Amino acid sequence: MTSYVSILYLLIFLPAVLLVYNVLPKKYRPIILLLASYAFFWSISRKLLVFLLVSTVSIHHIGLWLTAVQSERNDVLAKTERSGKKAVKALYIRRQRWIVFFAACVHVGTLLVLKYSGFFGRNINTLLQTAGVGLSVPILKLMMPIGISFYTMQAMSYVFDVYRETTKADKNLGRLALYMAFFPTIMEGPICRYADDAEQLWEGRRSTLENLTFGTERILYGVFKKIIIADRLNIMIKTLYTGYADYDGGMMAVAAIAYTCQLYMEFSGTMDVVIGSAELFGVVLPENFRHPFFSKSISEFWTRWHITLGTWFRDYIFYPLSMSKPLKKLTSKARKKIGNHFGPLIAGTMALFVVWLFNGLWHGAGWHYIFFGMYHLVLIVAANFVEPFTREFLEKIHIRREEGPYRIFRMIRTALLVCIGELFFRAEGLRAGFCMFNKMVTQFTLCSFTDGTIFSLGMDKLDFIVVALAVLFVFAVSVVSEKGTNVRRLLSTKRRIIRWAVCYGLILCCIIFGAYGMNYTPVDPIYAGF
Amino acid sequence: MKEQIIEILEDIQPEADYETCRTLIDDHILSSLDVLSLVAELEDEFDVTIPTVEVIPSNFNSVDAIAAMVERLQEEG
Repeated sequence: MTSYVSILYLLIFLPAVLLVYNVLPKKYRPIILLLASYAFFWSISRKLLVFLLVSTVSIHHIGLWLTAVQSERNDVLAKTERSGKKAVKALYIRRQRWIVFFAACVHVGTLLVLKYSGFFGRNINTLLQTAGVGLSVPILKLMMPIGISFYTMQAMSYVFDVYRETTKADKNLGRLALYMAFFPTIMEGPICRYADDAEQLWEGRRSTLENLTFGTERILYGVFKKIIIADRLNIMIKTLYTGYADYDGGMMAVAAIAYTCQLYMEFSGTMDVVIGSAELFGVVLPENFRHPFFSKSISEFWTRWHITLGTWFRDYIFYPLSMSKPLKKLTSKARKKIGNHFGPLIAGTMALFVVWLFNGLWHGAGWHYIFFGMYHLVLIVAANFVEPFTREFLEKIHIRREEGPYRIFRMIRTALLVCIGELFFRAEGLRAGFCMFNKMVTQFTLCSFTDGTIFSLGMDKLDFIVVALAVLFVFAVSVVSEKGTNVRRLLSTKRRIIRWAVCYGLILCCIIFGAYGMNYTPVDPIYAGF
Repeated sequence: MKEQIIEILEDIQPEADYETCRTLIDDHILSSLDVLSLVAELEDEFDVTIPTVEVIPSNFNSVDAIAAMVERLQEEG
């Protein structure tokens, strides 16, 4: 079971769990979900399940430890005079911070060792070699449990929220375990907060007809995006990114656009399957995408793409850093000297640097991922820097930025900038990324479109037509949703024959046009690798 | 207090109707950097300290919510 669109998951595992879940009495339902989640994890990562179990027990204990310190603080505060309360609060905040630091060492430390020790080791060895030191660091080859980047963030968000007292520590180890391991989210997110889904999951509500219908429709739409568009594009993308030296700049542009399309369809499609799977059990998960290609700026793009990752970085890194005492002081001083717009930009940029460094590294241990993060940092900071000048200039020439052609221009500009970023993201290393970008800019020709090269990359005319029509369909659905219409709700108001026709239409499309079977190598989920 | 807050907000981001809008954060009318400016201004103007834990969408989505948060922090001292 290596993917949420595998036959084993969709036609055997998911229906079986759903059936058992609904047949059993309410009190056993969460247990079935937990057992199914561990079975799912075991089927992919085998004995590495122990990492997930240790993480779960650890945050359970740390949560209770923090609560014990907080209640002790409250007792002491109740007996303390008003003048001494500040000192008591400071003392207990220090104690809690040590506990959070310990939690970070356990969870982020494990992630660092398993995911990044090879990367850091190789770079240290290169440095030592360059410096002529005859020493080297041993490179460890470690196995990584599936979803560790996702569940580690969930674990840390729980610890932070208990520390901030926005979430109460959970005494129920089973509920916490299910929050950490819920099988639809374990591999690719969304990165849930405890308040998002823990209670819902443990409630064990029976699936309603609406849950089953809406969940199934969402799953079908996700499978459609993944196997008709993302997987069909895979052969061409692989050919272009591994053999980029053999192709011209026009093909590099195709590589950038096609990969961006593949990544979006793959990840958002998987999210549809994930959110739809949870919906079958009556569980509402947070959305991870909100039509990102309607964004008018890179900042906006990141509020619509992988939303739960962005909000995690915003809440637990950006705000705590930019609102730390030194940066707050810096903002105050800078505001007085250089004004209200540029003042916060200095502290904001420092915090954003850390956010984007972590964002890049989170995606993988490689310099091209770090470059990907820095690329977005530069675009966001530059856009913020020129913002007052742009506003003034547009006012002078009487262009309304939120309306008409200028709005469309901003969307296209953002989409193109995103495509360039994704070119580096997918490239086989930073050097390859720069080579491809250089070719795209300096050797751009349309020759490969006319001499037949475009059809020699693993996709024939029919493949292109199928992908184009499927993308148009997704685009049309996105336009309707962007305008505020809930497509599935709209569909539910139609006659039964229309609803069945849509469902059967999607199933038939997936069966006829899906990229699976003998001629296709199964495509591993991209984000599961992060 | 609300008038002062609206004045601060208009100085930071003029393109919004602060009298009626109740989704300043949810609809991304205020960016993260705008929130930094706003927090700094509110702290200066009303002599309060706004801790990170208070920087959540529900406290910044409307002028009413901002005013309620500031009043609460003033009371807590």
